[in-house]
Amino acid sequence: MALLQNIDARFERVERALGTLIDSITKYNPSNKLAADLAAADSELVGALADLERHRHNVARIHDLQTQTAQLDTQIRDTISALWAARRELKNTPVTRPSSDSRTKHNFTTEELLAYARRISRNTMPPPGVTNGFDFSTNRNTASPTPTATQTPSASFNGAEIKTGGTPSASGTPANGETTTTTASQLNISQATTVSGGTAATELPIHLKPIVNPHEGATFIPWPEEHMIRGGALASFSLLVDEGKDPRGYDPEEEEQRLREEEEARKAAEEQARLERDEAERRMREEHERMARERERARQEAERRGSVAGGAERPAQQAQFTFLDGLDDDDD
Amino acid sequence: MASEPMSVGSSAMEPPLAPSGASDEPKYAGFTRFELELEFVQALGNPAYLNHLASRKFLSNPSFIAYIDYLQYWTRPPYIKYLTYPGPTLKNLRLLQQEKFRQDIISPQLTHVMMTEGLRAVVEYHREN
Repeated sequence: MALLQNIDARFERVERALGTLIDSITKYNPSNKLAADLAAADSELVGALADLERHRHNVARIHDLQTQTAQLDTQIRDTISALWAARRELKNTPVTRPSSDSRTKHNFTTEELLAYARRISRNTMPPPGVTNGFDFSTNRNTASPTPTATQTPSASFNGAEIKTGGTPSASGTPANGETTTTTASQLNISQATTVSGGTAATELPIHLKPIVNPHEGATFIPWPEEHMIRGGALASFSLLVDEGKDPRGYDPEEEEQRLREEEEARKAAEEQARLERDEAERRMREEHERMARERERARQEAERRGSVAGGAERPAQQAQFTFLDGLDDDDD
Repeated sequence: MASEPMSVGSSAMEPPLAPSGASDEPKYAGFTRFELELEFVQALGNPAYLNHLASRKFLSNPSFIAYIDYLQYWTRPPYIKYLTYPGPTLKNLRLLQQEKFRQDIISPQLTHVMMTEGLRAVVEYHREN
């Protein structure tokens, strides 16, 4: 506004100077001063117009900048809304809270890790060549091998299951034997069907398979088997309960050891008694023999003397000798 | 294995001590509680055993469910390293915490599927590696 007023004022001044100059010319009295005034007014107007032009430029530039800021504003708004959406998404994600135990680190050495891997490998890693009856040689999408294979455990474990349900405390060994044989025969059947099914071109005849693969038909079971459960610590616990004994503090092994020791002690005592008896018998026998010898000697002596009065002394002599013999033995 | 009905509160709430060589621990039938519970938790890896437990109505017994919950200490150190059948044991122990699984495992079909899957997975995993 100020700019326009300024221009207007200068324009008026030019007009006025021009008017005064024309008046002075019409009165035939031109003046240099008036002409100079007009020139000055004109140059001021030119300056004002230059200002106006600059102003116009600035306006255009301001306009440009405004568009630019508007664009940037939109961009910022988009970014912020995207950020907000991301934040909301983050907030809505359920947080998995690490339990207090998993936060505490448990350090272990590589050696321990390897030892563990070695220890579990016999239960987690099937021996080479064991396929558990699954056929991986053909395309996995072909459905044919799976149904035949899935029959395998079904038949065997159902058999075992009936036994389990029926006689819970019975010995598990026969059931297990049955399980393995059924599994093996079932596997053979599944192989037979595979061969007759059309892939026979790349398959070995059944009778050659065990030669190529010693584990042919074997099943690797990655969990404790029934016979292990039936033969384990819990089974002996259960057995004691069934026998009406309190398993707490009762160790069958210690019990057996105790019985064995008792038996041994009894045997040792018997042996000792037998030895003592033998010894006593031996002594008695020796004594008898000695007595017999003494008697014989006395008799012979008596005969030699030809005495008739010895008849009454003889029993006393006998008794005396017996007594002396006993003393001798004790000294030995 | 125990055929006696369990009473509430019969299970100890503190996990047994890991074996340390000390032999003054009370023994049950000649075994420590650690040994017995280790054997039991690993037996749970066998789907047929789970089916057997379900058929004997153990899996609906509140005491037994509490015991299954208590056995979760095997999923943590220092006990976890004693599991020699870690895969099926941990998987089934987790499944047993769900009521639906405890109800469903009485089905011979599910038992059969679990066995087939287990037997397949163990050979397939090592085949791919």
